[in-house]
Amino acid sequence: MMSLYLYPVWLRLWHWMNALLFLTLIASGVSMHYAGADWLMPFATARVVHNTAGILLTIGWIGFVVANARSENARHYRIRFRTLIGDLIAQTRYYMIGIFRLEPHPFHVTEAMKFNALQQLSYLGVMYGLMPVLILSGWAFLYSVYLPETLFGLGSVWVVAMTHVVVSYLLALFLLVHIYIITTGETVFSNLLAMITGWHRETDEIPVKAPRETP
Amino acid sequence: MPTLAYRHPETGEIVDLSIDRDGLAHSVHGELACIDCHRRSYRRYPHPDRPAPGDLDCIGCHEDDDRNLSRGWVDIDAEFKRSVHAVSDSPKAAGFSCHSCHDPHRFRPAAVGEPIAQIVRNHNGVCLSCHGSLSAASSTSHRWLPNRDAHWGSVRCVDCHTPAADFANHEVLPAEKSEKNCVSCHSADPQLLARLYRFQSEEDIARHGLFAKAVFNEAYVVGMSKSPALDRLSLAIMGLMVLLLAAHGLGRYLARRANRMA
Ligand code: HEC
Ligand code: HEC
Ligand code: HEC
Ligand code: HEC
Ligand code: HEC
Ligand code: HEC
Ligand code: HEM
Repeated sequence: MMSLYLYPVWLRLWHWMNALLFLTLIASGVSMHYAGADWLMPFATARVVHNTAGILLTIGWIGFVVANARSENARHYRIRFRTLIGDLIAQTRYYMIGIFRLEPHPFHVTEAMKFNALQQLSYLGVMYGLMPVLILSGWAFLYSVYLPETLFGLGSVWVVAMTHVVVSYLLALFLLVHIYIITTGETVFSNLLAMITGWHRETDEIPVKAPRETP
Repeated sequence: MPTLAYRHPETGEIVDLSIDRDGLAHSVHGELACIDCHRRSYRRYPHPDRPAPGDLDCIGCHEDDDRNLSRGWVDIDAEFKRSVHAVSDSPKAAGFSCHSCHDPHRFRPAAVGEPIAQIVRNHNGVCLSCHGSLSAASSTSHRWLPNRDAHWGSVRCVDCHTPAADFANHEVLPAEKSEKNCVSCHSADPQLLARLYRFQSEEDIARHGLFAKAVFNEAYVVGMSKSPALDRLSLAIMGLMVLLLAAHGLGRYLARRANRMA
């Protein structure tokens, strides 16, 4: 039995608050986007809920960025360019083939690196790519009255709205995959437990090296 | 300067009967001479300083004529008679008539193809000429309506304040019967705005696609102007992803079971 403390309290608090806000944003956002169907939240309620959750999400995101920059957790977000391509191929191959042959994970969680290359890139892309765009377009929507009439020759509310909608669809897609992928840990629930307790546990006494195609 | 004035023989004061002639020239009544309408009141000299009430009302002249209008004049008259303004017993609303809202010297109905924003401004201008205090920054009226002034720039007072079913509706409803439901505009089927958007030109209506809308800078209205194509594509991708993940999960489960049995 091996245990690593990989998810500090602030990170877990942020993460679960973020997850809750995200689900709230999806529910209220869908209610406005598809307004009219009666199984949805009333429009006026959805608007207030969505704005409030969006503001809280922004605060949370700023908190994450600051805390991540100032704490040990940042090391997990530093890309290891030297081995990146090989790691990506190995990880993809594992999800597509190896996992069905019950091969051992090609990546081994350590104190120095808790993410495999795919995880790392998607978290980087989400937290430092999509989330800021989502947040900025959300605030632009909130203050659309003060936007210029046009942006790049297009109606600016339209540009803002389309950005917001497309990015939110992408993030919803991320969420789907994210929730599925966390079940591919050692057992179905081991990653989920890690994000709750902070401790990553493994029963493997001897870390098994991934079988590599390349000699 | 266009003048039409005379000195009152008894009081010696100047009585000014001039009106904005450009306004009249551009109005539906541009072809008419003053005397066509003012024959009765101004037949005698000295003229009264106001025409006699009931002397020249729109309906009196137009009753039999249905040209160019979406609704008959008689319907408009009946709707007006049911409106808050006509039934109000407030002294401020006494003598309310078509002329309270329509200056016969300027009146011109909105035409198809006129910019929507312009139509909204003109029609709301009619109401705000009396209800102007509502739009003051300090006014607490319509506070439940977010971005009130943005709304008043893109929808008309009459869109919410008259029953949605009919066309050019003159039945201004009392406050408590007016429309408050956001979804009657913020949805794929914005019933309240159908009347306003019938002023869109053929070209505007023909412009369907995602980018056509953007290029012509049409306002994006949450819930209403979403792009069905984009939504369908996104939902399809997500649906596929769910299937893929389910298949993957099933594969993992079967692999483990086969392993356990072996
Ligand atoms: C389509 C019919 C029509 C024509 C044409 C018309 N008027 Fe009038 N006018 C009216 C009506 C109706 C009123 C009463 C409005 C009210 O009750 O407020 C009125 C009111 C007036 C008034 C008194 C109130 C005011 O608006 O100052 C004056 C002065 C006047 N008209 C002058 C003229 C002159 C001058 C012309 C020609 C250049 C003219 N009108 C052409 C219908 C007409
Ligand atoms: C003295 C009679 C008279 C009065 C009062 C009068 N109109 Fe007219 N109106 C006319 C005539 C005549 C025409 C036709 C002008 C033409 O064909 O060029 C006309 C044309 C119009 C038109 C153009 C569409 C059509 O049916 O031809 C509209 C709309 C209109 N009037 C609205 C009004 C309104 C609103 C009022 C009241 C504020 C009003 N009129 C008062 C005589 C009148
Ligand atoms: C000539 C001035 C005038 C114009 C123009 C006018 N109103 Fe009014 N409005 C009044 C008066 C006066 C009352 C009665 C106030 C009262 O009862 O205390 C009133 C009452 C109302 C009420 C009822 C308020 C309540 O407490 O129930 C509504 C709604 C309303 N107006 C809407 C409109 C709309 C919409 C328009 C434009 C299509 C409009 N008004 C144009 C003068 C005007
Ligand atoms: C989105 C729909 C909507 C629009 C647009 C709208 N109103 Fe209203 N208005 C209402 C409703 C609903 C009420 C009554 C409920 C309330 O305010 O509590 C109301 C109330 C009023 C009242 C009663 C007094 C008050 O302040 O409560 C007046 C007068 C009025 N509106 C005039 C106008 C005028 C003038 C415009 C255009 C500049 C306008 N409204 C635009 C929905 C609307
Ligand atoms: C409370 C203000 C108000 C009163 C009173 C009023 N109107 Fe109007 N009227 C409007 C507004 C606002 C519009 C523009 C909205 C629309 O087209 O429905 C309009 C539009 C019209 C139109 C153009 C309709 C079309 O299909 O293009 C006619 C004609 C008209 N009014 C006639 C009348 C007559 C006749 C009366 C008197 C019986 C009258 N109005 C009383 C506010 C008023
Ligand atoms: C009569 C139709 C109508 C009704 C009713 C209506 N809206 Fe709107 N709303 C619009 C239109 C049109 C716009 C687009 C304004 C613009 O930006 O030109 C808009 C814009 C908005 C916006 C701003 C988003 C942006 O584009 O900047 C919000 C928020 C909003 N509405 C919320 C509401 C809520 C909440 C309600 C119900 C209480 C409501 N609306 C009722 C027509 C309506
Ligand atoms: C209810 C929905 C969610 C669940 C159940 C969930 C679950 C988890 C779990 C179990 C982990 C730890 C496993 C790992 O490190 O990969 C994790 C990590 C993470 N999740 Fe989520 N998550 C959810 C929603 C979200 C959302 C909406 C976002 C961002 C928009 C997000 C971003 C992240 C990030 C960035 C990490 C890594 C954090 C770190 O260790 O630095 N999650 N999630």
